[in-house]
Amino acid sequence: MNTEIWTERYRPKTFDELVGQEEIVKRIKNLTNSLNIPHLLFTGPAGTGKSSLALIIVKELFGDKWRENYLELNASDERGIDVIRQKVKDFARTRSLSQVSFKVIFLDEADALTREAQQALRRTMENFTNTCRFILSCNYSSKIIDPIQSRCAVFRFRLLEKKDIEKIIKRIAESENLEIQEESIDILYEASEGDCRRVINLLQATSSISPRITTELINTVVSQAKPSDIKIVLEYALSGDFQNAREKLLDIMLKESISGQDVIKAIQKEIWNLNIEPELKVKLTEKTGEIEFRLVEGSDEFIQLEALLASFVIAGHGKM
Amino acid sequence: MTLTEKYRPKRFSDIKGQNSAIERVLFFIKNFPKKKALILLGHAGTGKSSLAYALANETNSEIIELNASDLRNKEQVARIIGQASKQQSLFRKNKVLLVDEVDGISRDDSGGLQELTKLIQKTNFPIIITANDIWHKKFSGLRRKAELVQLEKIDYKIIFEILKEIAEKESLEIKEDLLKSIAIKSGGDVRAAINDLQGIDSETSHDEIHERDKEENIFNTLKQVFQQLPTKETLFLYDKVSLSLDEILLWLEENLPLEYKGEELYKAFQALSKADVFRGRIHRQQHWRFLIYQNFLLSYGMATAKRQVKIGFTKYKRPSRILKIWHLNQKQKYKKSIAKKYAKATHTSIKRTIKEFPIIREIMKNEKIREELKLDEKEIEFLNQH
Repeated sequence: MNTEIWTERYRPKTFDELVGQEEIVKRIKNLTNSLNIPHLLFTGPAGTGKSSLALIIVKELFGDKWRENYLELNASDERGIDVIRQKVKDFARTRSLSQVSFKVIFLDEADALTREAQQALRRTMENFTNTCRFILSCNYSSKIIDPIQSRCAVFRFRLLEKKDIEKIIKRIAESENLEIQEESIDILYEASEGDCRRVINLLQATSSISPRITTELINTVVSQAKPSDIKIVLEYALSGDFQNAREKLLDIMLKESISGQDVIKAIQKEIWNLNIEPELKVKLTEKTGEIEFRLVEGSDEFIQLEALLASFVIAGHGKM
Repeated sequence: MTLTEKYRPKRFSDIKGQNSAIERVLFFIKNFPKKKALILLGHAGTGKSSLAYALANETNSEIIELNASDLRNKEQVARIIGQASKQQSLFRKNKVLLVDEVDGISRDDSGGLQELTKLIQKTNFPIIITANDIWHKKFSGLRRKAELVQLEKIDYKIIFEILKEIAEKESLEIKEDLLKSIAIKSGGDVRAAINDLQGIDSETSHDEIHERDKEENIFNTLKQVFQQLPTKETLFLYDKVSLSLDEILLWLEENLPLEYKGEELYKAFQALSKADVFRGRIHRQQHWRFLIYQNFLLSYGMATAKRQVKIGFTKYKRPSRILKIWHLNQKQKYKKSIAKKYAKATHTSIKRTIKEFPIIREIMKNEKIREELKLDEKEIEFLNQH
């Protein structure tokens, strides 16, 4: 397929093209060759090859006919388990038209489902077990209920290592005629946090500015993408300018769709870098914890964060 | 005669939008004297007094009315209601005693309140009490003795129908969308809506019908909270404002930094954020008693944050955060629809795409990708804006 989006253009098409996860690939390859797979559970961080491997499996199993025999669902985007069940039902009604006797359903981000929804999913899996195989993927297997785990062969994906990421970058650079320095690879790897999708996106975003991928260029792109600026919010507050602090905070939260809890995390980390007395750091961290507790409990994110900013205002006066 | 008097409902069937309250009033009358008093609770203009008058008409009763100003003291209450409740009416069989706006009784009239409570035990006739709010402690005795019926704010569609009917009968030529806008702006208050109707002619534009005097009201209240030292009265400040405590919380949030700085700001936000914690608990657990704490923190707590009385004029602003969020959500609409197309093409989720949007936006500068994802004009415009 001809696509301009690099994550798709360079998505591995065969087992051998998949980078990293060698052990898993070996086992899956054997299963696929037998033309019969059990339900599978892929667990691991984002961008480590879970969806890619699922796609390779169906392409190996069904060849050209993979599209008719494959249903991809995303639990975090579907509206509830009932919608998922209906889609599964509709899809499973017709029998597979190939030498393989089942169809494959890939349910991504299955850990987004509540425990109740997972119970329902488990029954669905049982009801259609003759005609369908499920491949579930999730970030944390601990969030998947035991009855589902016990019905699946579980595969744990690990973060990509630097050599894996490097391999991917070099392959793309060669094919897209990019000029790339060693240091740039280091920076890309760091920014990717072992997430292959992220590294490819970063590379493409950077190359859209220039095919000469320099460290400066990457840093510009990365800094744009960071839920940055929390520091600026705190600095406004410490200087006593509450109005600007909250204005900026609202801006960040709304424009970048960052949740209150993500903001709290960033604030908690940022406290260490502030130029204030250690005692105040302790008090502010304690306050931050209290506010995080209130957010978890379901209070208004913005009002609670404003209250926290007010604490920074008086901390700026050296009090608290 | 004002239109509100002219069109005051005379019978139950004239009262719109309060069917369940009417049923409960009928139930109360049927079971009288099991409970001897009925409290009609509701916002201004929801039909509390009308309901009492309609009840009198429907039961062929004489109505004896007392309002807050009559209930000055024990003697007066005893004289008017006490006598009336013992005697039989001359011409009509029945009587209904109406105590209007009981929450207008101030603390100084607590003798009157006690007397009323005693009377409920003695009376031979049903006593109807109307109130906007009776959750104050001083009413606890009264609440125990009386049946409580809550009147809902009237839906604007019903108010619209009422206005339309009156406009027709009065041969007023007023456009329907103007009537609708009066109905919406009345905030569920039929009386206010009818008064507005009387106040306009066909030239009036929408903007001239303000959200009644709510705003002036809240401005004065904010001034008292932010500028005066706390007193016992501070606790009751919000009773006079026709906004919910949750709305008041937003007004306080918006304007607090205009008045309070430094330590005062800190203390005020302590109170505000704790009030918000109680707000959340009320919503989750439906434990309405927490309203007391929410109110306390927002009034007394907020006023206590200051060191001394403040003077001078502060230009308070209406809460802008909710509006901002709404506007941004409108814009985010395109972000979401773009993310949906992108997610589908790349085997990922909308959620994750939105999280990574700053980078993905860079990638989507590529015309070919825009074509590939079949982005529409609005979506492309959104991308170009940023």
